[in-house]
Amino acid sequence: MSSSTSNRPTPGRRQFLQLAAAGGTAVVLSAGQGTAWAAPATGRTRSYVLVVDGCRPDEITPVLTPRLAALRAAGTNFPAARSLPVMETIPNHVMMMTGVRPDRSGVPANAIFDRAEGVVRDLDRATDLRFPTLLERLGERGLTTGSVLSKKYLYGIFGTRASYRWEPRPLLPVTGHAPDVATMDALLAMVGGPDPDFVFTNLGDIDRVGHSDLTGTTLRVAREAALAGTDVQVGGFIDHLKSTGKWDSSVVMVLADHSMDWSLPSNVISIDLILQSRPELRSNVKIAQNGGADLLYWTGAEAGRAAGLAAVAQLVSAHEGVLSVNRPAELRLGAEAGDLVAYCRAGWRFSDPYLVSNPIPGNHGHPATEPIPFFISGGSPLVVKGSVSSEAARTADVAPTIGGIYGLKPPAGGYDGAARTSAFTR
Amino acid sequence: MPGSVLLWTRVTPTPDALPGSGAGPDISVGWEVAADAGFKKIVARGTAATGAARDHTVKVVAGRLAPASSYWYRFTLGAAVSAVGRTRTAPAAGAPVDHLKFGVVSCANWQAGYFSSYRHLAARGDLDAVLHLGDYLYEYEPGGYQARDVVVRPHDPAVEMTRLEHYRRRHAQYKTDPDLQALHAAAPFIVTWDDHESANDAWKGGAENHTEGAEGAWRERFAAAHQAYAEWMPVRYEPGGQLYRRLDFGSLASLSMLDLRSYRDQQAANGADPAVGSPARTITGAAQMNWLLGNLKSTGPQWKLVGNPVMIAPVRVPSTLSTAELSGVQKLMGGTSISGVPYNVDQWDGYEADQHRVISHLRDNAVKDTVFLTGDIHSGWACDIPADPATYPFTGDSVAAELVCTSVTSDNLDDILNVPPRTVSVVVENAIKAANPHVKYLDFDSHGYSVLDITPAGVRMDWYVLAERTSAGSGSTLSTSFKVQANTGKVTKAQGGI
Repeated sequence: MSSSTSNRPTPGRRQFLQLAAAGGTAVVLSAGQGTAWAAPATGRTRSYVLVVDGCRPDEITPVLTPRLAALRAAGTNFPAARSLPVMETIPNHVMMMTGVRPDRSGVPANAIFDRAEGVVRDLDRATDLRFPTLLERLGERGLTTGSVLSKKYLYGIFGTRASYRWEPRPLLPVTGHAPDVATMDALLAMVGGPDPDFVFTNLGDIDRVGHSDLTGTTLRVAREAALAGTDVQVGGFIDHLKSTGKWDSSVVMVLADHSMDWSLPSNVISIDLILQSRPELRSNVKIAQNGGADLLYWTGAEAGRAAGLAAVAQLVSAHEGVLSVNRPAELRLGAEAGDLVAYCRAGWRFSDPYLVSNPIPGNHGHPATEPIPFFISGGSPLVVKGSVSSEAARTADVAPTIGGIYGLKPPAGGYDGAARTSAFTR
Repeated sequence: MPGSVLLWTRVTPTPDALPGSGAGPDISVGWEVAADAGFKKIVARGTAATGAARDHTVKVVAGRLAPASSYWYRFTLGAAVSAVGRTRTAPAAGAPVDHLKFGVVSCANWQAGYFSSYRHLAARGDLDAVLHLGDYLYEYEPGGYQARDVVVRPHDPAVEMTRLEHYRRRHAQYKTDPDLQALHAAAPFIVTWDDHESANDAWKGGAENHTEGAEGAWRERFAAAHQAYAEWMPVRYEPGGQLYRRLDFGSLASLSMLDLRSYRDQQAANGADPAVGSPARTITGAAQMNWLLGNLKSTGPQWKLVGNPVMIAPVRVPSTLSTAELSGVQKLMGGTSISGVPYNVDQWDGYEADQHRVISHLRDNAVKDTVFLTGDIHSGWACDIPADPATYPFTGDSVAAELVCTSVTSDNLDDILNVPPRTVSVVVENAIKAANPHVKYLDFDSHGYSVLDITPAGVRMDWYVLAERTSAGSGSTLSTSFKVQANTGKVTKAQGGI
């Protein structure tokens, strides 16, 4: 399962390229120093990872999402696939591109308490990610890579690691993401222009509508509209590959970073509220809220840590909406995740530090949001057609799987994920 | 198991060594396992001791076998050579598996007819195993429970079994059935017990038809039933051990076989009894519940199959049935006729705390591809298991599926109501489905067996029904098929293939 690397001329300075998009607007791509704009040679394998952010596996159906369903049926499907803790967007995109768990990458959640800065913040800085990704590792082998990520924080953490990048725009004011139409315009421009060997794409509409669906029932039509819309965009991408003669050399991997769970307004857990009965504990704990998961950080005296955390765990566990309270090491989350990780039950959400901090009913981060779609398709003869595998695929499998196509060796210390070789003919 | 199989037989070394007699010498029985039906490639052989202490039954674990392979076996005693049986090892742990096929049966009452279902399954020749979900035999005396009012074949001994001798003789009688012998010889059995292996509606401290004192102490009767079961069934269980266990089939499926009689509290009086919702009552016992929840959440094989002796899907009594129809349902289910409450308190519905624990565990942890395979209820069902029954009619959210095989021979609703098949029962079925929209298929009348296909893409059950259970040569026909596609947790009508 390897394909030859390309060898093409490279300019000597950082560049920007403005390309015409399908809708008549312009798409601006940036490229790293020494990266060529010209399309590479033929006879190679192209690979694309499309993340349908927040999509549940049972939402891909022939009726609702016919193009995705057809793509899945034509390739190798992994119905037992799951997201990994914490089931949030940033850590799972990082796991896809690194192939390692958060205790090695330094990215366990969307939001953490930064002990050095003394604030709760998003892990949206390129320096937050301390493990090499597929994007630059393939580049080091002479291949070209692209990132087309609809969310600003994803653009932030992956920074300039890809050979070609698109900065998401326009960003919608409430959701903070670029709509799939714009994201797909960028992807098509990138594939039609510099045509990287590998492109990593996040389509954010399904997730963002999920977050705004108030009940998961009456507004489910909005969710379904987003699913249908994203399906059209993916279908347009496949059509583009076919019409430009690229399909026969393409591997298309589709997965989600996490799924989605809806809670009623009454099913809210506030650890801030729980700990208010014990002010000596509350004053020594910082909370980083991640939808269905709360990360808790002990900030008090070291002498009181063990007893304090035990008391916090006991109080939090007693709440009817709390599923479990875990040590970060049990979940392979690393020091950045703090001292305790609380998961909510299905149909609940955390709202911290205040009861009004998380008003959105659609959430993820907790185990109820682990199942994800995960399939490998495409026109390349490498792809096994019409197969279903029981293998327990995970988001961390993306890097070893894509890397395997190009003969990329595992990083130092090896991958935590596994190459899903059963999806390939060789 | 991937590397071993359990072989079973029973010998009569001397004329007096009859089942249940306690007579006869200790002896050694030879056994052979071959990779071919002609025994040209013998891969294992040995001897096993038996005697009156275990009613001259023989159980052998033959090891060092290859996974996912068929083998043939036979026993020898002196010059006598047994009939040849075929068995099959499970796939290796984690190995890719494309397909499994199981026969699924329950509720075979000797007095109610012939075991044609077993004959049809034996003739298929394509089964990896047979799942027997309980009521392999019945405890009643002749006239106590039969085909409507007709005793097709009388039980031996001619009493309700209460003592070890009775249980042993009854097991021995069932093992003489040629159709059952053929099926045992054709494929390995994976079994669990329900209530009639001991007594009706058994629980840890008694049973519906056990009279403490007059029929001895329940503790002793239960122990006798378990001892005879351990002796006479091809199962890795010995008295004092635990019957619930998990078997894995490569990366495709795990199978958690439950024991829902040994640890359960007494049934509630009816569906309106507050005891139904008591968190202190259990159907599994704490240890088995923790074991089950762990199996469901484990990151092992894709499909989490559960061999489940009684139904777990909630079923409520509809309000539209006539008194006679309600009475029939009540008699079949042994439950209540109060509209809107659980209709069968012997099922998981009668132990709501445990039922809720399982369902919420599946939902909270997003456990996918769980299928409960159930017997007991003498009828065929295909059900979603709602994440929340209150919102299910609007959301359709289901955490798992339940597929219920019908009885091999035991009476069902048309028999109880003494009406022709597919007449009154159809009205009842429609009423129950209307009141319980997660019930997608229900056949209250047919007897037969099921065949289960398991692939990474889905699980499919075919229900085969007998033309006439009281006819020794009854034919069978495919009645219907339902499937559970991967990642959906929902049953849908199968139109060919999974």
